[in-house]
Amino acid sequence: MDINAVLSLGIEGEEESYAGKLYLMAPYLAFSSLDKKSVRFTIPLSTIRRVERLNARAGIYALSLALWHGGKIIVQLTSLRPTADLFCALLRDALKIELQRGRMKTVKGFVKTCYSEVLVSDSAPTPSDEKDEAHANEASESSYHGGLGLRFKFPGDPKKLREASKIKLWTTYLKTHGRNLTLLRYPQCTRLVQVGLPNRLRGEMWETLSGSLFLRYSNPGLYEQLLEQNTGRTTTSTEDIEKDLHRSLPEYAGYQSEEGISALRRVLQAYSFKNPELGYCQAMNILAAAILIYMSEEQAFWLLEVLCDRLLPGYYAPSMHGTLLDQRVFESLVQRCLPIIHDHFQAVDVQLSVASLPWFLSLFINSMPMVFAFRIVDCFFCMGPKVLFQVGLAILKINGEKLLQIQDDGGFLNLMRDYFASLGDSAHPHSTDPRARAITRFQELLLVSFREFSVITDDLILSERKRFRNEIITSIETFSKRSAVRNLRSLGRFSKEQAGLVYDALYQAMCVIPPPPAQLPPPSLIQEGLEEKPETRIQLRTFQYFLSEIATWGRDEKIVSNGFQQRVDRDVAEHEFIDRLFFFWDTSCCGALSFQDLVSGLDGVMFNDLMENIEWFFNLHDKNKDGFLTKDEVLTVSESFLFIFRFEVGDAYLGAVSRFMTNAFEYGDALLADGDQHKEVVEGDEPRSPLPLPSNQPYLNLATFRMVVLADEILESFFETDLSASFRLDPVTELELPPSSSGLLGEFWSSIATDSNKKMFNMFTDEIGKTIGKHQVVHRPSIGRYKTLEEPKARESLLTPSMRHSTSKSSLRSTPSSSSLRPSTPSQSLTVKVPSSIATSKEPVSAVGYSPMVQAANAALLSRPAFTIDDSKDEDEDAEDDTEVDDHDDQVMDEVDAFLEAHDSGLTDADKEVAKDLLNAEPVK
Amino acid sequence: MADAASGSTDKSVQVKLVLLGEAAVGKSSVVLRFVSDEFQPNKEPTIGAAFLTQKCRLEDRVLRYEIWDTAGQERFHSLAPMYYRNAQAAVVVYDITKAASLEKAKSWVKELQRQANPNIVIALAGNKLDLVQPSSSSSGNASSESEDEADDATATPGEAPSPGGESDSLRQVPREEAQAYATEAGLLFFETSAKTGEGIVEIFTEIAKKIPIEHILAATRGGGVGRPGAAGGRPGNAQDAAVNLEENANKPKDACNC
Repeated sequence: MDINAVLSLGIEGEEESYAGKLYLMAPYLAFSSLDKKSVRFTIPLSTIRRVERLNARAGIYALSLALWHGGKIIVQLTSLRPTADLFCALLRDALKIELQRGRMKTVKGFVKTCYSEVLVSDSAPTPSDEKDEAHANEASESSYHGGLGLRFKFPGDPKKLREASKIKLWTTYLKTHGRNLTLLRYPQCTRLVQVGLPNRLRGEMWETLSGSLFLRYSNPGLYEQLLEQNTGRTTTSTEDIEKDLHRSLPEYAGYQSEEGISALRRVLQAYSFKNPELGYCQAMNILAAAILIYMSEEQAFWLLEVLCDRLLPGYYAPSMHGTLLDQRVFESLVQRCLPIIHDHFQAVDVQLSVASLPWFLSLFINSMPMVFAFRIVDCFFCMGPKVLFQVGLAILKINGEKLLQIQDDGGFLNLMRDYFASLGDSAHPHSTDPRARAITRFQELLLVSFREFSVITDDLILSERKRFRNEIITSIETFSKRSAVRNLRSLGRFSKEQAGLVYDALYQAMCVIPPPPAQLPPPSLIQEGLEEKPETRIQLRTFQYFLSEIATWGRDEKIVSNGFQQRVDRDVAEHEFIDRLFFFWDTSCCGALSFQDLVSGLDGVMFNDLMENIEWFFNLHDKNKDGFLTKDEVLTVSESFLFIFRFEVGDAYLGAVSRFMTNAFEYGDALLADGDQHKEVVEGDEPRSPLPLPSNQPYLNLATFRMVVLADEILESFFETDLSASFRLDPVTELELPPSSSGLLGEFWSSIATDSNKKMFNMFTDEIGKTIGKHQVVHRPSIGRYKTLEEPKARESLLTPSMRHSTSKSSLRSTPSSSSLRPSTPSQSLTVKVPSSIATSKEPVSAVGYSPMVQAANAALLSRPAFTIDDSKDEDEDAEDDTEVDDHDDQVMDEVDAFLEAHDSGLTDADKEVAKDLLNAEPVK
Repeated sequence: MADAASGSTDKSVQVKLVLLGEAAVGKSSVVLRFVSDEFQPNKEPTIGAAFLTQKCRLEDRVLRYEIWDTAGQERFHSLAPMYYRNAQAAVVVYDITKAASLEKAKSWVKELQRQANPNIVIALAGNKLDLVQPSSSSSGNASSESEDEADDATATPGEAPSPGGESDSLRQVPREEAQAYATEAGLLFFETSAKTGEGIVEIFTEIAKKIPIEHILAATRGGGVGRPGAAGGRPGNAQDAAVNLEENANKPKDACNC
């Protein structure tokens, strides 16, 4: 619940009051000022020690919250009284729950792990000289978490970084504004971050600012548990990690020792165990190595979690979609803010991301000298991902003039490399003003980032991401499709485009019914050298869906009509026949099919002629591959026929199947009778040998089967063309009702039960061609050969209003024996109507069988986002001519002054002096 | 490094070359050997791609290779087109001690042939030859160790090559097999060792010969032919300032007949 509130700090005169919103999201209480950036806090309810309703003037409803650290905040609830009462009640309940859970007691132990406590409790801070070292040594003995830097030194010269002054400023701030779990973020918090966090505090502040602190707080011990549970486990990720351990900030002393390496290994492995789907991506090693300098393994682990999960979403995913998306966003921002540079890049065909991709992926850590990169990282954790874009734009703007000279990618990269190497230099070396000369290029960069690109807001980034998401997804899909098709060992007789269509169907099936995660082979079994992601394989259920996309008999399509609308419901068919096909295609016998299996399998049936198809069908049903069908298998064959023909119009097919049965058993018995006891098994592939059958199980060989099949005209035509034609790759017909006569078009009323096939078979054996049902739902036949025989009128008569809205529950079978069923032409009239009705009908006829697929398709149609096109005018105006930066010394000076001022507000005079010093401080490599 | 400055040299012909291959086959070491004739222990992994340049002299002209050394990890694959677009040459590297890496190389070749510049010159390089040549190092241990330095990616623990005695059994890809594939696919083929330097310069020499230089020149600035001597200005490695390809250029091919 949220409520309007005015926040005041409980200390007189320390901070102004801010209006904003107070959020109760148990177990946290959060506040955000109206501008969403000035003042913010998130505190666990367990750190609230006391809540008091303040006795104030009438009409004012204020609470005083005493926090763990002794600080006190006053929130004035400015919503209506009942709302405020409700809020208080909820707050009380939430606090009670926390108390019962014993969370209040955990705070004390937890904050001991935070360096800020040491800092604040040190009531007599060391004189502001650089006595940091001594201070550090005694401090490190206490139990707070710290990084490798405590042992191996932090990068940079503490003196030049003004460590002591920074520590002092922070100590003051943390004393009055809470710390770690209860940190209240007022404007000067952000400013202090902008001048660079002090090394000792950096790790903890990253945690606090990014929120990973709360994850660590609420999941105590999880990190150790993960490592313990997975001891000795090796995965592709752990192997990849192993390769990169010695390549992560190798110049840092900590990573030349086993201590640093093993810490890095544990953190990266723990994360890969926690998030196996992401696993490990190069560049994570650099991030992890960087943050481990400043924080403990557990802290780093949780920060990594926040980084990968929230701050850099999708950056390190196997598809790296987040990276690609943000590169696209960045490019569009460049186009918008720095159009001249963008145009030049277009003109000379330079791709921005050759340089900018590593910036984003490794947070500048392997692009810039570390001390500078860490300052950007400070801002990143404090202000969010927009910082990366702001800094990126500023880099381009500052180098604008030179960028307009470059001619190719290589020149671009070299220029950037030189620029980053010179960040410590004076930005205005020739200026007469010593203050101007003292400004480093890095300071200039930050100024430009935050001053000139303040238009880049979180909201803008989010909306831009939304805008390009589909584009990126499409391009990733296209790319993976292309590679998947390219990597097929054999295309069979398919063209690349056709294989692409098979891929589409497979992909769609995997979206609806994702392959189980167990699909990743057990990591312990992975052989060395299995670097690539394991081949995607689908299980039976996904296969059924896939087949429903590809084969007309693989789906149950019903054209449902009631008085108001017509629509197509589609269900995935299930039948033993499909299972049989699945295992038939599973040539490697692993219970799952790969893309290659599917392509090869389809290749085996889609291009066949009559004889090949008969043989294919025979082999499919010859379970033990001995070249003979048993009697049971003959029955199965007829079941398969019935399954495929289940929606055909008229009784022609039933008759055909019945004749097949009769003939098969007749011939079979005859041969059986004639034949001597040939034990020799005849290969099914040898067509011309209708040899006598062995007496017992093997019953019908291919030649006999072929003879039986060819004895029937309908079956012959089925094998000649219809079977192959029943596989359709064209996606259009998959998704929508085809416009008109594409051979699919007979329609047939029937009831719905998915296992109707079995019953059909029973019915068939019982009484052939008997039942006439009144049906409300049209089943689209898989073959539809006989549609032309029928007369339109017949169907019209069937479409009585009473039938239209009756439901599919009817138990009547669809057996097409009725002479009154002559549906083909009506079907045509139906099909013409249906598409429009699909589009218009938003409320599904609930009475009729619910079809998730159509629903999904409709939903997909509806949710296809209208692209929000941001009006970019404002930004355009803000974008100044970027080539003249260097001429603006004076301007920059002004900005620096402003920057300095900004940092000092709210601090004491003495502190202001320090802050001023800080701003001129030179970061050192 | 120093080569960055020489970008303006007009007399050289720029050739964009991309290195592709599975992770840990030694792409970076191959480039490093070629560009600076050295090993660099513990190089940071390639994020996206690294960019290096090197000049080569071939007969009377100077080629300036712009080399894009790409990241090998599978998930960086989708970024690769960014680097191989417009490339005139590619070196696809595999590890002769790892059969799977040749498969990956083949898929790279396929991709290049379909997606990249149609005239791209592709060379297939089977790296880590030193691991199967006991003679080239006194002991297998030494060999594995220095390979470790050559390219850290190589030094996958647990995969470390066993001592020299059985070193030949480490080979998983017979030379003939790879050669046959390369011939069939129309690739230049080499077995190399970034550690010993064997075969490295040859790759780039042969590529240089095969590249339709006239084409490039015509496309860029209308036929100016580079002169030797333009290669002078590289500090860094004095003796190797520009790799002189001439001695290898005994039988110049179509590209070099000016």
